[in-house]
Amino acid sequence: MENVEKQLREEAKRLLADKKVDVIVGYEEGTLPLQTVPCFITNPDDAGKLVWNSFCSQNLAKYVHDIIHQHRESQVRVKPEDKTRKVVGVVARGCTTRSLVIHLQERQYDRDEVVIIGVPCTGFVAKRKVSTLVDGKEILEAAVNGDKISVRTTSGDKDVPLKDVIADNCLNCHFNNPVISDIMVGNEAPPRDVDREYDSVNKFENLPLEERWSYFTKEMEKCIRCYACRNTCPSCYCKICFVEQSQPAWVGTGDDPTDVQVFQIMRMFHMAGRCVDCGSCVEVCPMGVDLRNFLKKLDKDGFELFAHKAGESIDKPAPLSTFEMGDKEKFIFEPESSS
Amino acid sequence: MEKRLIKKDALSGIINKLSEQMLVYAPVKDEDNVLFKVLEKGMEPLADYSNTRNAPKNFFFPKTETMMRYMRTERGIELSGEGEGAPEMVLFGVRPCDARSFILLDKVFDQEKYKDPYYIDKREKTTIISLACVHPPYSTCFCTSVGGHPMSSEGADVVLTDLGDKYLAEFVTPKGEKLLEKMGDLSKADDAAEATKEELSKKSEEAITSHVAGREIKPWLDENFEHPFWDTIHQSCLACGTCTYLCPTCHCFDISDEVKGSDGKRIRTWDSCMYWLFTKETSGHNPRTSQKQRWRQRLMHKFKYFVDNFDAIACVGCGRCVMYCPVNIDIRKIVNDISKL
Repeated sequence: MENVEKQLREEAKRLLADKKVDVIVGYEEGTLPLQTVPCFITNPDDAGKLVWNSFCSQNLAKYVHDIIHQHRESQVRVKPEDKTRKVVGVVARGCTTRSLVIHLQERQYDRDEVVIIGVPCTGFVAKRKVSTLVDGKEILEAAVNGDKISVRTTSGDKDVPLKDVIADNCLNCHFNNPVISDIMVGNEAPPRDVDREYDSVNKFENLPLEERWSYFTKEMEKCIRCYACRNTCPSCYCKICFVEQSQPAWVGTGDDPTDVQVFQIMRMFHMAGRCVDCGSCVEVCPMGVDLRNFLKKLDKDGFELFAHKAGESIDKPAPLSTFEMGDKEKFIFEPESSS
Repeated sequence: MEKRLIKKDALSGIINKLSEQMLVYAPVKDEDNVLFKVLEKGMEPLADYSNTRNAPKNFFFPKTETMMRYMRTERGIELSGEGEGAPEMVLFGVRPCDARSFILLDKVFDQEKYKDPYYIDKREKTTIISLACVHPPYSTCFCTSVGGHPMSSEGADVVLTDLGDKYLAEFVTPKGEKLLEKMGDLSKADDAAEATKEELSKKSEEAITSHVAGREIKPWLDENFEHPFWDTIHQSCLACGTCTYLCPTCHCFDISDEVKGSDGKRIRTWDSCMYWLFTKETSGHNPRTSQKQRWRQRLMHKFKYFVDNFDAIACVGCGRCVMYCPVNIDIRKIVNDISKL
């Protein structure tokens, strides 16, 4: 991984020095253990700040979208001949590249506005998993050593197998290597345990309705509606989210359980065919809401009904924005019989 | 001030006994969060815990509060209030930083110019039992930099200090002393207990490793509303409400009407300066259109405006925003970076 980091810094520096990109979006060290921070590098001399390790948890595609769109907005009142473009370089692992593909398919920006530095991925560390393994004690230091992670807590040191703390979405990931890139760094990452991808969904699906509903309501009760899940999600880029619209107000602003559930249900359904299972929404949630279980079900449906994996390939159209003659229509005309 | 000793194994019983007589909220383990919950029969209040995930401000300033209800009838609009007001309750196990946050919130909601009846009603009927931090719970704690202390009694009615095999219970306010009557016979504290507390207090203060230049940056903030530094904080910010919602002192709110059919209610909900809607005006104009401006607002409100208005920093140094920010925007670093400018 150190080698990847070295190459990454060199490529970033070169891209900036050659003026191929205006900014590089990557990760840098944070102020807390187990944490890296999204960073925005414009000066080639700062490329040395970039890191690539098991603590790079966030999907950076969100920032690519934001930067390009903010720039475009700033250009609205500029004379046509003076308009500029902003080219964003981004450090992208598999799921990040899938989000970029979704953006491109949804015509959010042009292919030449983004330079993709692909990195192989072995999964990121889920902070909550580490915290649970050390009984919630404060983690003062953490370092990955081979297949272990050494953690120093207030009550002593502990070595934890890395595989026990890798985020759930990474464990069964099909796309730990970029699906699209301009520059690749490092060697291809070995495949993950992909056969068990839908194990947890299958198990959940088979529970009685009441149990599934009570699990859903229990998880939603934790939600404080800080919108961290929505705001970190690269697929959540609506200019004005439906929860913030007031004419009409689709959903109440308070903490009424129904309103919280409606927010989450609507957001999740908007993810149908668009969720790349990057795990960012789960990782950023301050309350530990299990959103993945539900999102993964939508992903499974997309796969089973349309053989579709979100953002898998730029040439493969998204099922919900495509019509094909062979598409199932029974659910429209005979909803009772198809359920 | 009354001072008593409580044997360690007796505390849980005493608190449970209180919960039979009135509403008691206590820190309880809920999956992998520690949250304040109503203490029900058979539940064990946590006394040995670091701090709760969320701040206890919601007990006086709920996330959503119905201010009034209205109904459209043939005779016109009928208005009604919301129930009979708050019940008597006890908030057990509040950390000193969070207890101190109530003093800061009082400055906003219970002051000469403006008295908030919703807040005051709940605040007056609640007795706060705090648990002194004999060891600072986190390395991110910085209460001493913003006017607090790990063993402070500010904001508490009763302070419990862990002396090893027993607690020293100090009944600081008349409200606290009233609670003592409900706690049964407790042995009086001796001078030795107080001496131990003194010693622990010193040690705990020394054990705090995070220091920020909370007061020192005020003159800079006074002068530098337009400074390039403000361009350096916000870029990675997700504009979520984690920092402000978990914060014990953030108190901005929004008021809106929710109407269903002919029934309506006016609710007050938490707002967050991190949200783009925060300062959006009815006209459509928004004086703070960028995340940069919103971040400056957050910093200025805590370390300048609140100081100007109330002579106190609107931060108690609990470190929640530091620990739970999804992108690790660290207010300690920001304040210290400013102090070096």
